Amino acid sequence: MADEVMQQTPEATPSQPPRRGTRRERFAWAIGIASWLLPGLGHALQRMWGRAVVVFLAVGLLVVAGATMRGTVFSSNGGDAFDTLGYVADLGTGSFYLAARALERDGADVSHAGGDYGTRFLATAGVLNLLAALHAYEAARGRKA
Amino acid sequence: MIPANAFALTHFQAFLLFAAVISIAFGFLGRRRPKDRIKYILWSFFLFLVVGIGIAWAMYPFSR
Repeated sequence: MADEVMQQTPEATPSQPPRRGTRRERFAWAIGIASWLLPGLGHALQRMWGRAVVVFLAVGLLVVAGATMRGTVFSSNGGDAFDTLGYVADLGTGSFYLAARALERDGADVSHAGGDYGTRFLATAGVLNLLAALHAYEAARGRKA
Repeated sequence: MIPANAFALTHFQAFLLFAAVISIAFGFLGRRRPKDRIKYILWSFFLFLVVGIGIAWAMYPFSR
């Protein structure tokens, strides 16, 4: 799929970014969004199998660890700016955010160090997935990756 | 189903898990060739350990 798009848009070479609105640019956006929704999917669609597996496992492991350590999974009705920032970071995991909410049946418990670490693990998973989505987007645009 | 206490980690175990996962992810995203990836992962993991333990020692006098 990625090869087809790259062959059909000769104007987009690695040294020359594609123009806005071109087919390749739209493809890159789709890759970025897919990568955000399901960690690793953007790389898998471009046949970067090693990166896809590592991103999926890394984000998944951090989410599972964070949720089972009873870290805070922030929601949209946070009380202050830090809660909102935490929500944005947690949303970075895409569909795994729902998994984190499902895993954390007993709610957060940050009265012990494990819960605090869990909160950081969840936020890190989100930011890592956003970084991976950006990487997949840039690779789809033809930048060196 | 994952048991609730599946990840009952100490501070140091959580620190090692974090450093290992992030180093591997950065290595795969940042480098293309396997040899470069391994070098990057090991170097990144080493720096995580050195900086983390260094900060812990620097904070130790203020911990009590």
